[in-house]
Amino acid sequence: MSDETNIDLELDLKGLLCPLPMVKVSQNIGKVPVGGVIRAVATDPGAMADIPAWAKSTGNEVLQAEKEGGEFVFLVKRVK
Amino acid sequence: METYLWITSVWGVYLTAIVFFGGMGWRIYEWSTTPKSAVRLGMFPKPKSGAGRFAKLLGDTFIAPQSAKIEPTMWTFAFAFHLAALGAFVGHGRLIKEFPVLPEMLGEAGMNTFAAWTGSIAGIVMLAGVLFWIARRTYGPFKNLSVPEDYLLLFLLLGVVVMGDHMRFVYGGTIHAGVYRDWFMSVLTFKPAFPSELLSSNVSVSLGTHMLFADLFLMYFPFSKLVHSIGAFSSNLVRSSE
Amino acid sequence: MDSQQLTTLTGVIDKKMNRQLKQYMDICARCAICKDACHQYVGTGDFKYLPARRAELIRQIYKKYFTKSGEFVPALYEARDPDDNLLDELYDSAYACTGCRRCMYYCPFSIDTAWILSVAKAILIAAGRGNEMLGQLADAAIFKGDNAEMFNDVMISGFEDIQEEVREITGNPNSRIPVNKEGADILYVALAGAHTIRPAAVIFEEAGENWTISMFEAANYGFFYGDTDKARLITKRYIDEAKRLGVKEIVVPECGHAYRVAEMFYEAWSKEPMPFKISHILEKVDEYIKSGRITVEKGLIEGKVTYHDPCQIGRNGGIFEQPRDIVKAVTDDFVDLIPNRQEQWCCGGGGGIVAMDEFKETRLASGSKKVEQLRASGASVLACPCENCRLQIEELNEMHGLGLQVWQVIDLVVAAMPLKGKKPVHV
Repeated sequence: MSDETNIDLELDLKGLLCPLPMVKVSQNIGKVPVGGVIRAVATDPGAMADIPAWAKSTGNEVLQAEKEGGEFVFLVKRVK
Repeated sequence: METYLWITSVWGVYLTAIVFFGGMGWRIYEWSTTPKSAVRLGMFPKPKSGAGRFAKLLGDTFIAPQSAKIEPTMWTFAFAFHLAALGAFVGHGRLIKEFPVLPEMLGEAGMNTFAAWTGSIAGIVMLAGVLFWIARRTYGPFKNLSVPEDYLLLFLLLGVVVMGDHMRFVYGGTIHAGVYRDWFMSVLTFKPAFPSELLSSNVSVSLGTHMLFADLFLMYFPFSKLVHSIGAFSSNLVRSSE
Repeated sequence: MDSQQLTTLTGVIDKKMNRQLKQYMDICARCAICKDACHQYVGTGDFKYLPARRAELIRQIYKKYFTKSGEFVPALYEARDPDDNLLDELYDSAYACTGCRRCMYYCPFSIDTAWILSVAKAILIAAGRGNEMLGQLADAAIFKGDNAEMFNDVMISGFEDIQEEVREITGNPNSRIPVNKEGADILYVALAGAHTIRPAAVIFEEAGENWTISMFEAANYGFFYGDTDKARLITKRYIDEAKRLGVKEIVVPECGHAYRVAEMFYEAWSKEPMPFKISHILEKVDEYIKSGRITVEKGLIEGKVTYHDPCQIGRNGGIFEQPRDIVKAVTDDFVDLIPNRQEQWCCGGGGGIVAMDEFKETRLASGSKKVEQLRASGASVLACPCENCRLQIEELNEMHGLGLQVWQVIDLVVAAMPLKGKKPVHV
């Protein structure tokens, strides 16, 4: 799926401890246009719950939240 | 001049008593009928026992050791001012009744000399405190933080202290407590009259003006930040509460 | 200003009114002794951060709408409406404040500026001006609580990964991170980050503790945001969980506000007695060390170690000695910062400020006193049991080239434990 999606912004959140990955995604979501996608890579497993919960409660969409090796890769779409 | 005295030192006193005690009573009523904070606002460290917390409350309120540590200059002036104000307040007790013991020990002249010394010291210290506070409010963050209430109170206080000092230093050698006591007791017993020594001397201007400032100061007291004089006990107790 | 808005905003003050707030409003002498107590004022010199000034903004509204004297002669108190100008200034004052209450410590009347600013935040929220980031973080936490089943698998799989790491550290294949364990004595409510779970699990397991991990995190952005309803819901998540599992005690992690929220605030918010004992994890670790349930050795930690009292644990939580005793159990080379304990400088990272980019400059400038203290200590290792403090101090560390290693206290403990497994990598 990530191969087909246009990425508007890459965020390297490796090494950041939760809830900072969620904070960084939130701070940066305004930098992509509505419909745009952020690709974020985190290493803290807490992000697997944090980022989807943030997206749900702010009305944005997580297209992908997957564990790849020791990293957690998210595709977050700005909905509004 | 007699009219001025009647306004400031008789009717003014009655009005002030009503406003001051009524205002303070109302203030205490308001505080005590507002529910306490449900959230625990205490901070640490605090004594474990109730007696310990009460002792800490007294220390925090009368000595404010933390404030002394962070701003010693301000603390020194403030502490000296409050102590002198307390001394002056006690000294004004002579308006009602001559002190016990002291006059017997010192004799009448000795008592007047003692009063002159202590009154002078208190008067000077209070003046220094008020001037320090006024000066402090003229610059930097202190000025920015100040509101007209602060200057008004300092102005009234300055009036009270300067005129009090005026009586102490200019007329202190000639007119003693007994004369003022005649006037003050006449007011207290609702048979107001002025002794001839007061009326025949220019001290009446000083007394009238001292009383004018004192009346205004005390009438404003319950509606100003000066209610810290009673509120500080309660707020300092919360600091050490559970 | 718009009368509807005015009614709403003064209504907030009315709803929040209590004896303490009223006295704080009435008695402040504007002596400004609090000026030098505030790390933000000292670090930036910006008047808006002077504690008495922050409170004065609320006082201006209070005087005008809650006192006769202010109603008749507003000019005497500079009393005014909560208009846009006031709200703009209030936003900076309230959300930048880290809630350290150092100003309250030095105030001759013990005026709690942070408490006054909790009213300020409620006003801002009612005016639609609450901090967006903190609001989002609070909402995300509440969403997690309302949809716990949605995150169940992700959480459990995360715990399993951490459990593997714990086993590698302890060298014991039976070390566990118990999930949903009914009848456990302790519910450990960590933060979202794995680093708050891993060392705690090592310690609990080595101590033979009957514990279980919470599905929720102890952090409470509703508290920082200033919405007591949200804050209550966020804490309620693990209180309900603890009731369901029938535990005896809730242990909160190395986090400042989590302890204070559970211990000092939750009862008032929920209007019911707290049914559990609340402990900070360092209280437990201190007990384990002193009772011999875990063993620590000196000499495994290199360099001079110092300790920073997070404001919410120290001055506002009363935990001063246990963390020091723990640190002294793992090293002989301990030095305290000066000043310390109740007089400890706030590092500048509390109150959710690390999540708010707009205050970054203020935040970093406000760390100047902490930097001075750390430099003067000559320490090369800092033990610090608060996530926000660590984030701030790590940033200061880098910015000022302090060359410090910033550790969680429980990481120091694990590093000093003679374990069969491999040494954990310090994060």
